[in-house]
This record gives sequence, structure tokens and C-alpha cells, in this order.
Amino acid sequence: MSDDTIVAAHDKAAAGTPDTHAQYRILPLVLLFVFSGFIFYAGAYLGRYSGRFSGEIFDERQVPTSGQPVVAAIDPLVLGKRQYALACVTCHMPNGQGVPNLYPPLAGADWVTGSEERLIAIVVHGLKGPITVNGNVYSAAAMPAFGQVPGGGYNWSDERIAAVLTYIRQEWGNEAGPITAQQVAAVRTAHPDRKEWTEPELLALP
Amino acid sequence: MTTALPTKVQPGADENEQACGGPLLLLIGSGLLWLVLGSALALLNLIQIYTPAFLADCAWFTYGRLQAMQETALLYGWAGNAGLAVALWVLSRLGGAPLRGTNYIVAGGLFWNLGVTLALVGIAAGDAAGHAAFQLPRYVQPLLLFSFAAIAVPGVLAWTGRRNASTYAGQWYAVAALFLFPWFFSVASVMLTFAPVRGTLQAVIATWYAQNLFSLWLAPVALAAVYYLLPKLTGRVIPNYDFAVYGFWSLLFFGCWLGGRHLIGAPVPAWVSTMAIANAWVVLFHHIIVFFNVRDLFRSGSGTVMRFLAVGTGAYLLSAVVDTAFSARALAVVTQFTYFQQAQGQLALGAVALILTGSIYYMTPRLAGGVWPSVGLIRGHFLAFAIGFVLLVASLAVAGWIQGSALNDPAVSFAQISERTKVWLQLATAAQAMLLAAHAVFALHFAKFIVGQMAKCCAARPLLAAEVTVS
Repeated sequence: MSDDTIVAAHDKAAAGTPDTHAQYRILPLVLLFVFSGFIFYAGAYLGRYSGRFSGEIFDERQVPTSGQPVVAAIDPLVLGKRQYALACVTCHMPNGQGVPNLYPPLAGADWVTGSEERLIAIVVHGLKGPITVNGNVYSAAAMPAFGQVPGGGYNWSDERIAAVLTYIRQEWGNEAGPITAQQVAAVRTAHPDRKEWTEPELLALP
Repeated sequence: MTTALPTKVQPGADENEQACGGPLLLLIGSGLLWLVLGSALALLNLIQIYTPAFLADCAWFTYGRLQAMQETALLYGWAGNAGLAVALWVLSRLGGAPLRGTNYIVAGGLFWNLGVTLALVGIAAGDAAGHAAFQLPRYVQPLLLFSFAAIAVPGVLAWTGRRNASTYAGQWYAVAALFLFPWFFSVASVMLTFAPVRGTLQAVIATWYAQNLFSLWLAPVALAAVYYLLPKLTGRVIPNYDFAVYGFWSLLFFGCWLGGRHLIGAPVPAWVSTMAIANAWVVLFHHIIVFFNVRDLFRSGSGTVMRFLAVGTGAYLLSAVVDTAFSARALAVVTQFTYFQQAQGQLALGAVALILTGSIYYMTPRLAGGVWPSVGLIRGHFLAFAIGFVLLVASLAVAGWIQGSALNDPAVSFAQISERTKVWLQLATAAQAMLLAAHAVFALHFAKFIVGQMAKCCAARPLLAAEVTVS
């Protein structure tokens, strides 16, 4: 084959021939699939092991982070307000006044701004029976348990309970100090198998 | 396409390259000298691995320097010269005209070889740049770049001034190689030597360069020769030629991303290796197409040139499969930074060397006129080359696997590893000695051929002069 023939014959071959006899070539389709397969595999591999192309990731299995894990600081008043709106608001009302003769108020209530342990105990385990708030007797009071205790229907974490207590102690003109999650945990573990509290039992607490 | 009988060793009537023969023969001849010298240095270097005292008290030939010298002699001396000769020849033949501007080849060739000589002396004296495949001292780098550019000029002229508007795959690969080498060489020269980047980035650039040297320079040159010679030898059009263009572009696009494979487990960002491993799969597309195109090579019953090309191309394709498989991190954890990587390197470079050798056997009679003095020597060379090549790659691979497995086992000491790999390294040394002998035969055969042709030439000249005076 002379040099000129090589160029001319292959130039013709590169153009392909019209498929006049309906002999479908399988190779183009196979190559297309093979190439797509390679690209797919390469893309998946890159996506999984590239460490997002970070200059600081040296182990391909590591997911990039920026040094120490960062935990967003949560304002207890914001979280507490949210928790309040989720549940407490039904009985105690948005203004914290409760319903006369049925549900005791929270705004300006001696129970709320007074003993921290009693307040925590009420929310964690619930309350049953008559209770006197600011001189008014609420004889049918029944509050469910909110803590992570047996029979508790709400299962709120100590952090959430601390947040909602901090909220009610500092809202509506109340000016008591905040409650921490550690305090809640302490009360919860001190009384592991409790049912709802009654007023005399509460008054026995410090 | 069933016309045109295969052209055998006899030069055809349309071959008219006597005019440009000399300069290309200069490149081939100097390439062969470097091949023999490089193989000899490689042999000494292999012995040093398991005989640490060998040449250890001679600073110029300590292990590290000798390794850099043999690598430089083979990559730039042998493959550089021979690759340029093959690329220029393919471009000239397919361009349909004798090479123009051949003085550029002579001048560039002299300076290229001067540069390689300086590089070897410089490395021996301790001036190596210190990057695998890029050990050239700083004062040699610009010299090599400009000599390459000078030698490439006739190739570019043959491409731009080609007789046919249409082009052939052999031309694409050759002209791409001529343009790509100066690009990545100058980038590496600036970023590693003259304005060096800092820290691990150097390792990234160096492996990028080393991979490009193979994927964008040596491999395209070898493929240019295969694509040109195959239809010459068989007289048939390349099958599935309409895909050749995709094979070409996929090598160019994806080939230059593979460098990071050599950095798996090295202290570089993970994405560098991940990118290379992903691309090692994609670039297989190129190899699949090349296989479909050149599969006529692997038919039985053909000449020695064809056998060189067949074994070389087979090794080229195999090397791609092996490189891809062993870039998987689960396997690389054993083979990385061991003799196994040397086996991979030898497989790839040996593939190119086989193809270049076959091309030289085909080209030389057409450049110098006449026929090779001995067919037996060519066959013997092929046998010795093929056996030595397979033996070298296989023994290094076994040694590397043993070494890698043992290195991952904290209970095995370094002394034990040396003991376990020693016999395989000795086998590799025997293989390298066989290769040295084969290449020496090749070089001597070539020298005999050229000297014989020159003697004929000189004998003819006085006759011509006498005729002129009589008339």
C-alpha cells in the first residue's frame, strides 16, 4: 500500500459507509455503552473519594470538616418559646395567664419564680390534684409528664425542659434565674419511678 | 480495499527518502548508542540493589546517581532520538514529500545529544534535579528544549505542507507528540527548576510530568509508527478506522490526568490520586479502540518487523490494564513504592522500545538504501529482546509483590525482605544482561549496515567523477 493510498483509503473509511444492506453495526453501540460505563464509574468514584477536592483531606474516606466539630449555641429563650408554643400554650395560654379556675397562670406565679426543684419536678413528672397558686385553688389541675420518664408522653430532653422553664421564668414580667439541663437531670434521676406529684409532696421538696 | 500487495523488506518504487536519510540516520544511530549505554548502566544499577557494596565507594556511580543516569540515557538519549526520528519519518512519508529543513535536524540532533551527554555527566557529578523521569540538571533543560524545537521544525513543515488535505491517524499522533512535548517539558522546567513550587506540589508536578512523558510523547510516537506501518505491512485498511479519532482524542484528554496514580498513599491531598484512578478507567476507552484498530497485528504468519510491533503493542495494551487494575487502592496498598512499580514502568517503556525497534528495522533500509546485512541477527535480536523483556517485567513484578506484602507485615524485618526478594532481583539482572546483549547486537548490526552503505557510496563517487571528465 503506497503512502498516498493509505491516506486516501483511510479518509474514505473514516467517513463510514452507508448501511444499504441493513447490517446494523453493533460496535458503535457497544463502545458507547462501554464509554458511558467508564464515565459513570469514574464519576461515582470521584464523588465518593475526592474529599470534595479539599486541599486538607489526605484520607480519601474522610468527609471534610473544618477542624473541631462545631455545635451551634442555642439560645434557651428561643428554644423555650418554641417548646412553650408546641404544648404549654394550650392550657396556660399565650399570655401565661392560664384559664380561671381550670388552669393556673404562669405569669407572676409563686410556683414559677420560687423553688427551682419543685418547678422542675412538676414539668418532668407531671402534677395531679388540687393546687393553690397565688391564693387561688385549682382543684382539677392535671398536668402530664414532659420528661424522659416511664409513662411520660412527651419525652422532652433535659435541655428542652430547662429551656422552657428558663423561658417561663423570664417572660411576662417574671424575673427569676435560668434553669440548667444539669438541674433537670438531677431532679429526674433523684426520683426514678415517680408518678405525678401532688401538692403536699411538692411542698416537701426544698 | 483489497489492492496493493504488502510491501516487504525491499524498498518500494515510491520510496524517495534517500534525500533526507542522513539526518534521520544520525538520530537513530545516536539513539542506539544511548540504548546500549543506558542498558549497561541499568544492569550495574540492578546489581547494586542486592549488592549494596558494589561501586558504593565511587561517588559518581552510587545507586541514586546511577539510577538517574540510566533513566536519563534511556528516556532522553534512546527514546528521545529514536522517537523523533520515527515521528519525523512518519510525517514525511504521509505528507508525501521528502523532509524540508533537514539542517534543523542535524543541528538540533547534535545539540540534543550534547545535552544528554552533559546531563549524564552532570547527574554523575551530583547535579540531578531529583524527580523521577526528570533528573536533568538545570543547565541542560533549556538546551534540550531548544534542540527539540529545532528537530521538530521539519516535522511541522511536513505536516503543514502535506500533499493531501486529508490526514491519517499516524500523522495525528506524530504531530501531537511533537507539539505536546515542549508544552509539558517547559511547564515542568519552570515549575520544578527555575521557579520551583513549594512542598508536596513538587511531587504532584513531577508525577504529572513523568506520566505525560509516556502518555503524551512516547505512546503517541509509538502509535504513530504502528498506525503507519500496519497498513504498509498487511496491505489492508485499518479495521474500524472510523473510531480511531475517538481513540486519539481520549488519549490526549484523559492521558495527562494519570500522574496521581504514583502518589497513592503519599502525603498529597486525596483528590489528586482519586482523580488519577478515575481517569485510569476512562482512558481505557483509548486502548479498546486501539485494540480494535490494530488487531491485524496479532494474526500469525508475518515478518519480524510485524512481530516487534505486535509484542510492543500487546505490551502497551497490557500495561494499560495492569496500571488500571493496580491503581485500585486495595492493590496499590501492596504494590505502591515497590519493585512492582518498576515492573509497570518497564512494561510500558519496553512496549515503546519494541515498537521503535521494529520501526527502525523497517525505516533504515529505506533511508540508507540496500538491505540489512543479516536476517538471522534481526530474528535473534527479536527473540532475545522479547524473552529478556518478559523475564525482566515478570521477575520485578514478583519481587515487588513479595516486597509489598512483607512491608505491610510489621513482623518482617527489612533484612528478611531483602533476603526474600534477592533471587527474583538476580533473575531480573539476568534478564537485563540479556537485553543489553540484544541491544548491543542491534547497534553493531546497524553500524555494520551503515558503514557498508557508506563504503558503497564512496566507491561509486570516483566513477561518476571519471564519467564527468570523459564527457
